[in-house]
Amino acid sequence: MQPLDSFFQHQTRRAFFKSTGLAAGRIAFASLAFPDLFRDAQAQTGTRAHPGLPGLPHFAPKARRLIYLFMNGAPSQIDLWDYKPRLAELYDTDLPDSIRNGQRLTTMTSGQKRFPIAPTIYRFSPRGQCGAMVSELLPHTAQVVDELAVIRTVYTEAINHDPASTFILTGNQVPGKPSIGAWLSYGLGSEAEDLPAFVVMTPRWSAKRDAQALYQRLWGAGFLPSRHQGVALRPSGDPVLYLNNPPGMDPACRRSMLDGLAKLNQASFERSGDPETQTRIAQYEMAFRMQTSIPDLTDISAEPKSVLELYGPEVVQPGTFAASALLARRLVERGVRVVQILHREWDHHTDLPRDLPLQCRDVDQACKGLILDLKQRGLLEDTLVVWGGEFGRTVYCQGELRHDNYGRDHHPRCYTMWMAGAGIRGGTVFGETDDFSYNIVRDPVHIRDLNATILHLMGVDHNRLTYNFLGLDQRLTGTEAPANPVKGILA
Amino acid sequence: MPIGFIVLLAVLELLALFPRFAHANCSAGLILALAAPVAVVTALCGWLLSRGGGYENRLLWWHQWTGISTAAACLAAGILYSSHRQRAYRLCLFSTLPLLMVASHLGGSLTHGSDYLFRYAPGPLRAFLSHATQPPPSPKKDTPWPDIPIFAGIIQPALQRDCVSCHGPEKAKAGLRLDSLSAVLKGGKSGPVIIPAKPAKSEMLRRLRLPPEDDDHMPPQGKPQPAQDDLALLEWWIAAGAPADKTAGQLKPPENVARILAARFGARASASKTIPPKPLNEITPLAAQLSEELGIVLAPISPPEAWLQCNAEIAQATFGDAQLARLAPLGANLRWLDLGGTKVSDSGLAPLEAMPNLTRLHLERTAVTDAGLAHLAGLASLEVLDLYGTAVTDAGLEPLQKLPRLKRLYLWQTGVTPAGAKAFAEARTDKDQIQRWQEEIEQLQARIRDSQVRVDLGASLPSPSSTNAAPVNTQCPVSGKPADPAKTLVHEGRLVAFCCDDCKAKFQQDPKPYLSKLASQPVPVAGQAEQSR
Repeated sequence: MQPLDSFFQHQTRRAFFKSTGLAAGRIAFASLAFPDLFRDAQAQTGTRAHPGLPGLPHFAPKARRLIYLFMNGAPSQIDLWDYKPRLAELYDTDLPDSIRNGQRLTTMTSGQKRFPIAPTIYRFSPRGQCGAMVSELLPHTAQVVDELAVIRTVYTEAINHDPASTFILTGNQVPGKPSIGAWLSYGLGSEAEDLPAFVVMTPRWSAKRDAQALYQRLWGAGFLPSRHQGVALRPSGDPVLYLNNPPGMDPACRRSMLDGLAKLNQASFERSGDPETQTRIAQYEMAFRMQTSIPDLTDISAEPKSVLELYGPEVVQPGTFAASALLARRLVERGVRVVQILHREWDHHTDLPRDLPLQCRDVDQACKGLILDLKQRGLLEDTLVVWGGEFGRTVYCQGELRHDNYGRDHHPRCYTMWMAGAGIRGGTVFGETDDFSYNIVRDPVHIRDLNATILHLMGVDHNRLTYNFLGLDQRLTGTEAPANPVKGILA
Repeated sequence: MPIGFIVLLAVLELLALFPRFAHANCSAGLILALAAPVAVVTALCGWLLSRGGGYENRLLWWHQWTGISTAAACLAAGILYSSHRQRAYRLCLFSTLPLLMVASHLGGSLTHGSDYLFRYAPGPLRAFLSHATQPPPSPKKDTPWPDIPIFAGIIQPALQRDCVSCHGPEKAKAGLRLDSLSAVLKGGKSGPVIIPAKPAKSEMLRRLRLPPEDDDHMPPQGKPQPAQDDLALLEWWIAAGAPADKTAGQLKPPENVARILAARFGARASASKTIPPKPLNEITPLAAQLSEELGIVLAPISPPEAWLQCNAEIAQATFGDAQLARLAPLGANLRWLDLGGTKVSDSGLAPLEAMPNLTRLHLERTAVTDAGLAHLAGLASLEVLDLYGTAVTDAGLEPLQKLPRLKRLYLWQTGVTPAGAKAFAEARTDKDQIQRWQEEIEQLQARIRDSQVRVDLGASLPSPSSTNAAPVNTQCPVSGKPADPAKTLVHEGRLVAFCCDDCKAKFQQDPKPYLSKLASQPVPVAGQAEQSR
């Protein structure tokens, strides 16, 4: 059956009164009670490519743009951020049962007879004015540690990559919910007229192993209107497929074709009144504008050498994390609301000392470069940068423990993320884990709290940005448990 | 309270007098049955509350007896009704009404202050009903704040607004009145509420600052609460010795208080007056029109507040001096203005002078030079200024020195030299203030030290995991050779040493056979461990 027919068949008497009667009442009430709001809604839904919801932001935002650096696979907090000097003496001793306390394990280590403690082999030292302890694997990020709020006590319930990534990026372990970028696009819209509101990049990686798969739902729109889903730029070749005109099609011809198509679509809209038709017209227009905006975006020939050097030598190779970080800056500069970079393969069950340094080298200098570049332009003033994975890694070794080689299993009970930029108190080290980086001792931050914090900084009350679906007022932080912005890292 | 029942009943009975509504009073019995007990309970509650004290006696006496009469009349009406004496019942009911009105008005006066009825009525109505007490004269709008008398002009109006309804002439809860300076200084039953020059020891300030859910918090939860700024002003007044007649200027307020005063009572005497933003509904049509025509974002920062943000950077090349000039009518509402990469010129920045409330201004990558920055001199609220990629030089920073709120200035890729930037930052730093704060930090740290309890147990107990702990054995439990203190592991909380890695591995695989040897070893740690054996 045609979706439209189905739509009309569902227009029962009851449904009609529910949707029109109540809506009319609501609109009438709203226009009486909040004339300002209402007028503003009319104004905002004018010609903007990405209008936000009327009445948002809920309060003056600290951040107007978000750059989310997602380290897919779960970086080891013990080897990078969570300094545990006493573990060195406990090398190869068993993790006390009182610490593990019956914690659920993955099937990758649940068969192990022993859980020997594997201290990190990397040196930590106090860095910056704040003196935060940072691993030698992140020498560049350590240089900007005074800009960061390092949260050592993020935790989640999910224990495997797929549900955990889906949980932190969409607010639920079960697929089908909108991603954080889609929520922000839906709520706040975007100021970019010729670029999508939400752009995703998936750069390549250096670790010598296969990576966990990524899924489009990690940047999907879920039940929100589909135009809010992230647009993924491809790491090599054309950033957006089928965007360029094929041979023999000149721009004027394309333009007249689109105009004709728009007329047909408009006629169809007048007949059916289906708002998805208007979305489609707008999307064709956006694609046409992207024919010029995307080449302009990816052409970095005008970037001065000093800027490229900040990001490191790989910045000139398309598809690297460094190149993506530079594009992220160029995107937020053009008014894009959310940029998400998903760097893969941080899943070091074995041979961690072989792979973790390679992964760190991919992102370390580019993270520093991004923060410094945003800062020198004044963009860090209202851009929020978030770095982290979907969970942490265990203090005990997976597989054989040697002095120069070890691996770590998944650990959801604590891990480290950092935030920088708008509204963040730089040089903060937040939360404390126990001596084994296994349990949280002070200031736990559930990933719901983390998402509530991101929304808070963007001027959104996470309890009030909702969308009714399946009979619930759905929200990014879920409907199951309360979530609170982490006040301790706010400026 | 029974007022709703009784009035409803009276209305129904009145209606029933007309033949057309003869049946209006058929539920009178039910209403009476509800009203009479409620009236009695209300009177009882009132009597209990009055025992708490702090009410003005004359008012209380009248309220008490009219209230009791109401309850009695109500009961009487119920009895008459149930004995079917229709006329007597109606008479009784209608005579209850005036009693009820007097009692409830007096009750309102007791709880909310005698002027409660018309306090928030429009001015002319209030003047007409001149029996209502006049609020204390608020300082004239055009008085610059340094000339405002501190108690009469700043502290007293706040007390009057938030405290006097319970601590005033009609009702003085806890024996405390806050309607005059002498009363404030006198305090209440449990002692003085403020101690001049000692804000930290002033009970009033302590209670005001308790969390609202605390039982001691004042004003009680649910009543109108003073703003944080009011508390800061009160603290400043107490710290200054709670003077009666000095003016705000004579007391030399610290920076935070000066800012509050400036915000409330107009700008500093010398600076230009702040211009309030226009209401959102007045400016929305123009804002919408300009966003569309100029291809910019011009929207409220967080509706329904009237502050606007403007992003003209997205219009880039099509936005220049003429377009900026069109924003001038919205000038007082603009907080964030992003002109980065646009075609504005030095002379075109003149409209910025009509935007005194700007807090963030982006002029990066424009043709602006030193000459243009002169137009920024009046931006008293400006906190962030982005000038990167312009031809600004050291000399151009001069007018920016006077911006009182400037916090961050971006000067990458400009003609400003590192020395010039450093000199600017140093000239902007209030060294005396930093010195004062540092002294304050030291005092507070001393207080923290003083308030900490230290526990000393003498020699510390040996801990196997601490770095300097010695092993519990001197001989290797596996081989019997002398143990190497560097080759150790922790077993059941004890640090055990071995002669070589092989022995350690054997022990680790199966420690049982060696445990007996371990137990018989002399423990090298002196002190408590020796005594325990």
